[in-house]
Order: sequence, then C-alpha cells, then structure tokens
Amino acid sequence: MAHFYESTLIDTVDGFQCKSYASEHPPGYVIVKPKYIPANAIKGDGLKYRFLFEQCLIRFNQFAKKAELQKYVEQFRKTFPDYIYDCPIHKNWFYVVPRNKIKTIHDPKNGLQELLKVPLRDCDPYLVLVRELVELLTKSGVSTSHLGITHSTLLGNYTFGKSDIDIVIYGKVNGWKILDFLKTATHEKLRWKTDEEWATYYQEHKTSESSHFTEKEYVSQMQRKKYEGTFGGTVFTLFTTEEPEETWFKWGEETYEPLGVVTIKAKVVEHYSSHVRPGFYGVDHVEFLDLETALKNKLNHSIKLKKVVTYSIPFVQQALAGEHIKACGLLELVTPKDTKHEPYYRIVVGYFDAYLGNRREQEYIKMVEA
Amino acid sequence: MHFYESSIITTKDGLHCQVYANEHPVNSILVKPKYIPTDKIESSALQYRFIAGRKMNRLNLWADKEALKNYIEDFKQKYPHYILPHNKLFFSIPIDQIERVYFPRTGLKELMAMPVVALDEHLKNVHSFVSFLAQSGVKASDLGITYSTLMGHYNSQVSDINIVVYGKQNFWNLMKYLETAQHSSLRWKTESDWLEYYTKRNRFAVFGKDSFLKSSMRKKSEGYFNNTLFVIFAAEKEEEVHTKWGTEKVEDCGVATVEGTVIDDFHSVVRPGYYGVDTRAHTKENTKENNSIDGNDGKDIPVSSIVFYSRDYCMLVQKGEKIQACGNLERVTTTDGRVHYRVVVGYFDSYLDDRREKEFVRLVE
Repeated sequence: MAHFYESTLIDTVDGFQCKSYASEHPPGYVIVKPKYIPANAIKGDGLKYRFLFEQCLIRFNQFAKKAELQKYVEQFRKTFPDYIYDCPIHKNWFYVVPRNKIKTIHDPKNGLQELLKVPLRDCDPYLVLVRELVELLTKSGVSTSHLGITHSTLLGNYTFGKSDIDIVIYGKVNGWKILDFLKTATHEKLRWKTDEEWATYYQEHKTSESSHFTEKEYVSQMQRKKYEGTFGGTVFTLFTTEEPEETWFKWGEETYEPLGVVTIKAKVVEHYSSHVRPGFYGVDHVEFLDLETALKNKLNHSIKLKKVVTYSIPFVQQALAGEHIKACGLLELVTPKDTKHEPYYRIVVGYFDAYLGNRREQEYIKMVEA
Repeated sequence: MHFYESSIITTKDGLHCQVYANEHPVNSILVKPKYIPTDKIESSALQYRFIAGRKMNRLNLWADKEALKNYIEDFKQKYPHYILPHNKLFFSIPIDQIERVYFPRTGLKELMAMPVVALDEHLKNVHSFVSFLAQSGVKASDLGITYSTLMGHYNSQVSDINIVVYGKQNFWNLMKYLETAQHSSLRWKTESDWLEYYTKRNRFAVFGKDSFLKSSMRKKSEGYFNNTLFVIFAAEKEEEVHTKWGTEKVEDCGVATVEGTVIDDFHSVVRPGYYGVDTRAHTKENTKENNSIDGNDGKDIPVSSIVFYSRDYCMLVQKGEKIQACGNLERVTTTDGRVHYRVVVGYFDSYLDDRREKEFVRLVE
C-alpha cells in the first residue's frame, strides 16, 4: 500500500484521536500513535486525563511509568484488538487504525489553507502568531501549499500561552530547506533556546532518552536542530513528512527478522531521511560495541549493517553525513523481496514495544567523536 | 419530538448548530446555525472564526441587515435541506445529516469525573462553579455545559461558562437559591455591566433604561464566577413542554403591540419561552391589508401569551407585573378546535426586515 502522511490526526469510530506515525502503511491500516482514548473504555492509572470534545479522555503517553503503561496497553489489546496489528513482515506489532474504523481525517494542509483565508482581524492572538510563523517559514522558499498545521492548532482546542504551534512540512526537500533557512533566519519573535536553557531543560526533564547524553552532549546536539523553537513566546515544533514518491521504503518490499539489542558505533554516510518518522541514517564502518555471544554467533559477517532507523522524534537529525554516531536499538536482518537487492542489517530505535520493556532505557542515537 | 435545547449538533457538511427549541418536527431538529463553513457561502459582514480546521462564518442575526438578508438567501440556495418547509423561517437539521451531537449533560458528567488536577484554569473554574450550583439541591444529572466549554474550543481569557439546567422547576429552584447564595468567587453584574450589554444590542430605542435595569439586575442567570461571565439556561424536560410540535394550526395576523399583566412567568426561562398574559391586544399597526380578525377590526384581540425565541427576553417580567411586547400576532387553532391568540417575538425572519428594530418585550413600570 499505502501512503498516508505522517502527523495527520485521525478520529476513529470508537472515539479515539490518533496521530499517524509513519508515511508508509500496511494494506487496510494506518500506523498511528493513539493520542486520546475515552476514559470510559479503559482506566488510565498513571496517565493524564484531558477533557476534550465533550469527553473525558486519557492522554496516551509512552513515557508514563512503565508498569502502569504495560497494564494499560494490556487492557488496550484486550478491549480494542482491532487497533493492534501483529505484523508478519516485522515480527512485531504496531498501533493502527483499520481503514474501516476511520471516522474523520483532519488534513493539516487544508487546515492551514482555511486558516490563511480568515481575515487577520478575526484571528485571536494565538492564530495571528501561527500566521506570522508560517509567513516567516515561507521566506525559506517553501510555499504554504507545502505546509500544514496539526494537533490543537488544527482542531482549535489550543490554549494561548500553553499550547505549542505544530507545523507540518510536506516533502523532505522542503523540510531541509526550512531547517537550513532557520539556521540563519532572524525575526523579532523567533527565539531559540540558549545553551543555558537547554542545560536547564536537560536537568529538569531527564528522560530515558536523555540519560545517554552528558549535559554537554545534549546541549550541543539539541542546539543545532532547528525543529523546535519559540515564536512570540510560544513553542513551535516542525514535523517533516514524506511525499508519496519520497518514502525511503515501500511497505511489503522487505521482511525484517528481529535478532536482539545491540550497540554500535558507525560513520553516517547519509542523513537525508533523518528528519522524518520513521527516519534513518545510512551508515558504514560499523563497529559492534557490546555484542552478546549468542547474538555474535547468529550474525552473518558478510552482511553489512547499513541503516539506523528511528521512530522516536528526539533522535531525528542527530548527525550529518561524515559524522559518527553511537546507537543502541533492535538489530534486524532485512531481506528485500527483490532478490536483486542484498540482505542487510539495520538497527531500529523506538518501536512501540520498546516502551514496554528494557529497551526504553537502553535505546538511543547520539553523535560521537570519530 | 423532544430534543433538548442548547445541545450542539455538527453536521456532515461541517456546520456547527445550536439546538434552538425543545420540540421538533419528527425527522429534523430545529437549530440556529452557529458556525457555517465558508466553502459554499461566505459573508464578510459576519465575523470569521477558525474552528475545527475550517474557516467559518459566525452567524450573527444582528449583522448588517442587507448583508444578512443576502447571506440567508445564499444559505437557502446552498443548504436547502436545512430550511424547514414552513411559512416561517426555521433552520432544521434532518436526522441523517447529523454528524455528531454534543450533549451538555454528558459533557458535564465527563468533566466532573475528571481529576481536578488534570483540568486547565477554565475547566477548574467550571468545575468549581458547578460544585457551587449543586449546593442548591439541583441534581448534578440535571445540569449540563454547552458551547465552547463543551466543544473544547474555548479561550480561557474570553470564553463564558454556559450552564444548562434541565427542567423548568429545577431552574427556578436554582434561581431562588442564587438570590441569597454566597461564594467568594461569585459576583453579579453591575448596572454598568448590564448597560454595556444593552448598548451592544442597540436597544435603547425600544427599552427604557430604568425598566431594563430593573428587569436585568434581578436576574440571577448571569453573573461572574472568578471574573468569568456565566450564563445559565433552562431546557424543558419532555414532560414539561408546553406545546407539542404540529399540534396547532397557526395563521399570521400581522405585527401587533400588546400590553397587559403577566399571570404566568413559569415558562419564561426557556426557548421558546412565553409569558401568560391577562390582557387584550391592541394593534397599533398591522402588516395585513385587511385587518379584520374574527370580525374584529384588529384591535382588542384577546391575546393569551407572549412567546419569544430570543433569550434576551427570558425572565424580564414577573407574575403580576405589566408587560408590553411587539411581535407577530398569531391566531392559533389547537387540535381540539380551540382558538387563541399570541404574539411571537424573535422568529428568524424577523431579523431580516424592519421587525428586527420593532420587536421587543419589556417591563412596563
């Protein structure tokens, strides 16, 4: 199948609100992360509650306390088995929305085009900021027809002063154009976190992901990414999503055999698709750092490890071609359907199952010295 | 058919509508379109809002009249299925065009079940206000929230708290309670708050300031809670509805002004609401060429009620007080053949002609 833009919000017939979590999907399904789930369906101990659209909803958070998340997901599987896809080609599972369960698709592109038609005098201060930010982004050369708005900005349930502005960029080239433009762009309302602010953020928001970084490493890696900043005091986040002709894999053209958790060091040879979800870094000169004997014996040393894949947004744009990375994730043997292509290994960080087990603490991608 | 007023309906083609009565035709729900997408019709005379990912016009019956007339004409062309076949203008949503109904009761029940720590400032305020109202003895299950609080697109800085009370007796009980209830966050509208509202409606031409203030200052349905404006509405329970849809034959007898004494104000808290009056209508002007009504010359018609569709006219006049109203005089024949007259204020079509300025309901000192 099946292209469906990442970062698109979907309402389901069972009252969920989900966000598409990839741009390539299995036939009949859209891979998503559930965002809000009605509280009357499953109790959400340890998860946050939100009152939205007439309902008490549970905000699904993969970083909730693990034991509580495990319990929740277990109930979710029992109550809503249709929303779990046990994938034969990955030998893993994904949260999905079956096509026949889709109630509404909230299109970020249409939403932005509609917003741009509203006279400024009728926009509240939050929407005025969104408009100004979009105007700034178009100075990169990317037109508004390749931009969208998502989350509360799109649905209208934002709170000025609290809600982020979430922008979707359509097309990987456009994504890089904007990210490059922002490296030097100036605007009286545009502000990036300073090193000190990132350091404070690091200290105050320690996560399983950031625990693999020293404060210095974290600050320097976050500082050069330009996908999150503030505009007029409001946080904005940019999500790049792939056009149908740009996806770096097509669903069903490869099969994946999970082998175990490994840590590697490698040289990045390609970072072009590292700003999307899932994104990847092309690598060579791979060095396995902590290979268990059992796994070592399974490895076919004539097969190369070529990719480090991430589903986790904190690990996008971690390194550029020519730089080196260290990464820990699930090692997979990839077998292309087309026998003209050779099998290869890849490491995947941030599969949904990783958040329920030890991999949540183990997995990371970070730039390191050569 | 009964369907609670003040519920919100979204249609399959993206309109957001407010249910505008408690009694409805069998296959559709009477509404006021609140937000209308701009893909089919649009008016720059109406305010725009960005809601649910769409550019919408906010239907305002007090917008420039010519522009409003044009807009409603366009609406009739583009959304003919939302116009009820009737000799008066009614907007109605056929059941099969409903995308979703937002029920105020369900919404409040869900909200009150939330852990308070999970609520933002606006919702905490709503939660606290409802907890306060519940001390009146009105059951939580007879309360609801509506509009932006229910839909989730409120703005904490400017959005009101809109409460629905189910049942007229419950509503009156609550009003009685609020006459003396105290809360550190509760503040009633001052004269200047009311006059600001009054000026916005530009109603000085028909209302005396003093009688307006007298009528308004005693209302306990509007005030401020933690400095957020609240408005409390009543919705009729099914067993309380005063007139079932389709049980009357109505003839339009033109525009009339009526004056008399209120003998029943119980139903003046709902939409449509009415004041029962012991009076005789006198027609100062009439849109009908032939003013002869039941052998009468159009004056001294025995009117039994003053009906209104605008919430502005709720609870303006109390039992025993003198009332004056201008609106459509209607000759009503009930199914058992009884005939009575009423004056109706605030039909949708009244906003499209000179009745918009003429119609009123007021307390006579």
